[in-house]
Amino acid sequence: MSGVKNLFAQKNRFLFVLILIIILTAPLTSAVEAENIQANEDDKEITIAYVPRSLDNPIFLDAFEHAQEKAIDLGINIEWVAPFVYNEEAQIKIIESLIARKVDGMVVSVNNTPGYIDVINRAVEAGIAVATFDADAPDSRRIFHIGINNYEAGRVTAEGLLTVLENKNIDYNQQEKNLDTMIMTGVRGALNLDSRIEGFLDTVEATNIRVQDIVENQDSVNLSVELLEQYLQQNPEIDIIFFVGGWPFYVPAEALPNFQQWSKNGGVAVGIDIFYDALLLQERGLLQYLVGQDMATMGSKGLSTLYNYIKYGAEPREYIETGVEVADDDNLERLLQTHRPWRVK
Amino acid sequence: MFNNLFKKLFNKIEIHTIRTKLIISFLIIGLLPILLSGLLSFNIYRGAINDRISAYSQEMVNRMERDLEDYISEIETFLSREQDFYINQFIKLTQANDFRNNRKYAFRIWEDFNNLKQMKPGLEDIAITFQDGRRISSYGTYNIDLENFRARMYSDSSGDISFTSPYTNYLQQEVITIVSSYYPEIAEENVLISADIDLDVLANLTDFNLGEKSYFLIADQNGDIIYHPNQELIGERSLLYNAGFPDRKLNLNGEQYILTSTFSYATGWYIISMASADEVEAELNYITDITLYMTLVVLLIIILLTIYLSSSLSRPIQKLQELTHRASENDLSVKIDTSGNDEIAELGQSFNKMIRRINKLMEQNVREQKLLRKLEMESLDNQIKPHFIYNTLDLIIGLLENKDFDRATHMVEALGKFFRLSLSHGKEMVLIRNEIKHVKNYLFIQQFRHGEEYEYIIDVEDHEIMDKHIPKLILQPIVENAIYHGLLPSEKKGLVIVKGYRENKNIYFKIVDNGVGIPAAKVDEINKILTGRLETDDQQKYFGLRNVDQRLKLMYGGSSGLRVESVEGEKTTVIIRIDQRGGN
Repeated sequence: MSGVKNLFAQKNRFLFVLILIIILTAPLTSAVEAENIQANEDDKEITIAYVPRSLDNPIFLDAFEHAQEKAIDLGINIEWVAPFVYNEEAQIKIIESLIARKVDGMVVSVNNTPGYIDVINRAVEAGIAVATFDADAPDSRRIFHIGINNYEAGRVTAEGLLTVLENKNIDYNQQEKNLDTMIMTGVRGALNLDSRIEGFLDTVEATNIRVQDIVENQDSVNLSVELLEQYLQQNPEIDIIFFVGGWPFYVPAEALPNFQQWSKNGGVAVGIDIFYDALLLQERGLLQYLVGQDMATMGSKGLSTLYNYIKYGAEPREYIETGVEVADDDNLERLLQTHRPWRVK
Repeated sequence: MFNNLFKKLFNKIEIHTIRTKLIISFLIIGLLPILLSGLLSFNIYRGAINDRISAYSQEMVNRMERDLEDYISEIETFLSREQDFYINQFIKLTQANDFRNNRKYAFRIWEDFNNLKQMKPGLEDIAITFQDGRRISSYGTYNIDLENFRARMYSDSSGDISFTSPYTNYLQQEVITIVSSYYPEIAEENVLISADIDLDVLANLTDFNLGEKSYFLIADQNGDIIYHPNQELIGERSLLYNAGFPDRKLNLNGEQYILTSTFSYATGWYIISMASADEVEAELNYITDITLYMTLVVLLIIILLTIYLSSSLSRPIQKLQELTHRASENDLSVKIDTSGNDEIAELGQSFNKMIRRINKLMEQNVREQKLLRKLEMESLDNQIKPHFIYNTLDLIIGLLENKDFDRATHMVEALGKFFRLSLSHGKEMVLIRNEIKHVKNYLFIQQFRHGEEYEYIIDVEDHEIMDKHIPKLILQPIVENAIYHGLLPSEKKGLVIVKGYRENKNIYFKIVDNGVGIPAAKVDEINKILTGRLETDDQQKYFGLRNVDQRLKLMYGGSSGLRVESVEGEKTTVIIRIDQRGGN
């Protein structure tokens, strides 16, 4: 009986050891399989597409340049696709083509309108990581937005304007006479542009600065130049122009005769976007105060943030602010030295 | 059976009437040329349309080939560009990953390519593709699967330019791509320069309206479809391919098509037109309908005109027929109201004239009949003279008293026959045979009465005339005259000859006596009275001769009658002429 008991005890011991070995080695096997899957995923080349509003707006070239450099660093494919001239329908079609091609991620500059919201949501549903840069669509299911605080940029621009007016001894609190102002924007509904206008108007609310007209240039550089010249021909007595973006700053001063004449007659122009050609206009006295946005960071950091999200699942903050810089008489010379000409126009 | 059926049918529609015949005639005369010319014109036009369609289809594919080659040629010219500074710089800086300096060249290329796109409809994208699949195009920079792209490419005849089969490009557009190699001077790597062309625009370069069912297709040398309106077929091998696309008429999915094709040597493509036979023939059907409607309208007009004309023509004829029918039913009061001066009006006038003439003749006939009866009665009266009867009866009594019963019997018999033949049961006409018998009886009686002072001879040469009919009591009055006015006054032995013969279809009787004769003046007077050349108020003058003469003239016309010849103291001859042709 005891012999049988011993035999049974030996058998149980053997089974116990066997089960123990299986239990101990199972996690190791799973870990190896997981590691192999991960390795395969690592091997897959990641493709992230940037979709600016248009190709013909050089403001995006800084972002384009730095995104490409960052892509080299990260070892991923970068695509930079957009309609040459801004067109909502064409831009949405391009985003749809990216969905069809199953890119891994996309960083888009869009409006917070139903068409864009819908296409972004469809991309997300297709498993594509979507972020926005420059212009946001917060009502969509995009992961994050990278850009400036547009309201703040508008506010800073307005404060700079008031300083310029003080330096010119123009009384912006005088109740008898208003300072008539024209605002040039891209399109109404573009959240970034609307926020800049809001920040500007809130800041000058207590002054005699009154908006006479808001001109939309459809995000077109060429149209913006044409509209500006036409407007000043018809309204030479306008006192102030606020450029919500730098569309007409890509051309030399000689291409803007009415604008030159208007500045010579005492007109005050301020705007957002700093780049070499804009600084040259400021140097010529056509622009008095500029607020710039850091497009380079939008390109590089936007790409790396989305890459980390795709590659490692790193959740970014919803808003990544890139900060603003200002260009006034004090730092103009330095800025002209640090910014390089694009020579695209 | 069919004959009966047709007869019944024709009777039912009164085909025998002039009106129906006129309608049928006019319809045949009017319709046949129209139908024949319509059919001929239709066939000629149909042939012309078929020829025109073939020529049009051929012209279409030829023009499409030319337009296509011109279009592709322009693209090829652009793709085969010589060294381009911006492209060269972009390639060089891209290979060096110099993004900062390269962005302005990228911008220039985007601008350049988009300008070209604006200038060339159907050009969807222009791109430069590096060996690793990186690409700069009018839409920016992106990557493609170059291996997959190259798999679709095939070279043209020169080998400088390649085409791809249809595929979905970056923007999910159905395109074909024309590809050329570009060798930058300043870089080692050659790149591909390419143009994406929208298939729909390519197929519609030549603006032709083929119709709803008709269509164009483009296929490569292997028959693989490059363009087809049904996009699902693009890339498939065409079912129409048969060592090329020979022109032919074929049935496809239950539809008849006219296939016309041409081959473009510049592209190596077939351009094929599939013209729907139904649509092509729709024009023919339209013409058929027009012809049919026009024929029906013309038919209606002809029928109405025919009815009008035939009624215009047949109405007077019908009226004439109706009046003729009434006239035939003894209504001679009918008269046609004629207007116009055509043949039918003339016919109506003639009818009226005829009716008037008939009425006149009827009246004349009645008159003549009355006269004839009167003359006949007078002739009878003349015969039944009491004197003649009394004498004859006295003579018979004498014979009986002398117990000469045989002769008395003969006399009674002769007298009875004489009167029986005179009456002839009231008949107007008697056989010559009986008239001769009558004369014989008369002569027998008179010979007996007059003591056989004269002889008589009855001489009828032509016995056939014995069975001819003549008015009764023609001969006897003449014979009586011969006895009483010729023989009895003469002292010599008398002779009466009654001779009957036929000459030139006329029946002649000569009554000759060898009596005292008649003076020539009197003979002349008698003949003049008989021929109407002389009138006399004395109705009893020459009564016997005139009675017979008038009756003959009434019965047989003016050419019949009596003529008297005489040699005074020698003989008298009365010639009776009966012209049978003039009889009633």
